[in-house]
Amino acid sequence: MVSFAAEPIIRLGFFSFTNSFLDTLIVDGLLIGLVVALNKKLADIPGKLQNLMEMAVETFYDLTESVAGHNAGKIFPYFMTFFLFILLANWTGLFPGFSTVGFYEGEKTKTLVPILRAATSDFNVTLGLALVSAVATHIMSISTIGIKQYLGRYFSLNPVNLYVGILELISEVTKVVSLSFRLFGNIFAGEMVLATVGSIFAFLFPLPFMMLEVVVGLVQALVFSMLTMAFMAVLSTPHHEEAKEVSTK
Amino acid sequence: MEILKNFGFDPVMLAAQIVNFLIILYILKRFLYKPVLDMLKKREDTIKTGLKQAEESRLLLEKTVEEEKKVLSKAQEEAKKLIEDAKNQALEAAKEVEEETRASTERMIVEARNQISQETKEAEKRLAESASGLAEQILSTSLKEMFPEKDQKTIVDNALKRIKK
Repeated sequence: MVSFAAEPIIRLGFFSFTNSFLDTLIVDGLLIGLVVALNKKLADIPGKLQNLMEMAVETFYDLTESVAGHNAGKIFPYFMTFFLFILLANWTGLFPGFSTVGFYEGEKTKTLVPILRAATSDFNVTLGLALVSAVATHIMSISTIGIKQYLGRYFSLNPVNLYVGILELISEVTKVVSLSFRLFGNIFAGEMVLATVGSIFAFLFPLPFMMLEVVVGLVQALVFSMLTMAFMAVLSTPHHEEAKEVSTK
Repeated sequence: MEILKNFGFDPVMLAAQIVNFLIILYILKRFLYKPVLDMLKKREDTIKTGLKQAEESRLLLEKTVEEEKKVLSKAQEEAKKLIEDAKNQALEAAKEVEEETRASTERMIVEARNQISQETKEAEKRLAESASGLAEQILSTSLKEMFPEKDQKTIVDNALKRIKK
């Protein structure tokens, strides 16, 4: 039975080095490797890798620009990093050996402790990402529209606006909860499905589920990053501009 | 809190994950997005400059061709004018030469006539002188024996005067 919590592999004092943290480091390594490989061969006439990265960066930047307009430069790094990090974390969990190769723990009921586990199937990772997303959104909002307008979004002397502001405050909390639990739930559930199907049929039958998980991994990365981008775009737009946009629609 | 514990919530791990993500965010922003976006911007600028230069070159070429046409047509007009002027000048020169020749011929004719008349007069004079001399000689010879010397002279002088008249 796979546990909700990531299993510790090594304990370093108060810090438990978990199998999901190991995957996090693998993802970091892949991303840093990508950066190094790209910077090594960065040229005016692009190679295959540079071409691919240019295409990806341009597509994501254009998408951010179409949503956030002039704030695209600030939002884009968060959008793209969330996407790349979550996508790699989701997909590395599908590699052979993840959640299957490990060691047994316990004396009476021996349970398998996998050495590797998808980083996004650890609630600490998804909650951390959601918190970074929320905090960055609010910092960006203050720096873009100013503290007065930022606070004006939540607090007002008008009772109707005050009520809406309180709802907005609650929604800020629920954003973190929904972002973290959606990603964690989807990836964890996927792992459970794969583990179950894999334990019943070893060959061929798990393949469609693997394909489904590839899609789920991509979709979840897109959902998380695009929601972050949308929240950032909305909170970085002054109230009167929002009203203008609504009235022109 | 108990629910979070069940999901494996660990504040230390959460902090580690947040720090890890922020580091990755910084690295990607500094060493991936910035160089790639700069490269894209640079390429866009290069393409824009190239297109602008191509457009400028095209306009310059069109302008040059137009100017070339203008210069050619102007040169043709000037050449025509020059040829016309040269023709006119040649005709004028020919007329002048003709007139000069005519005047010179007329002058030569007049001079020749004058000379002829002068020479004729001189010849007539010389002939008269020679005829007077001959007549004097004939008269002197024929009157020598017929009249005295004084009369002879008077007769001869009278005769000569009449001849000269």
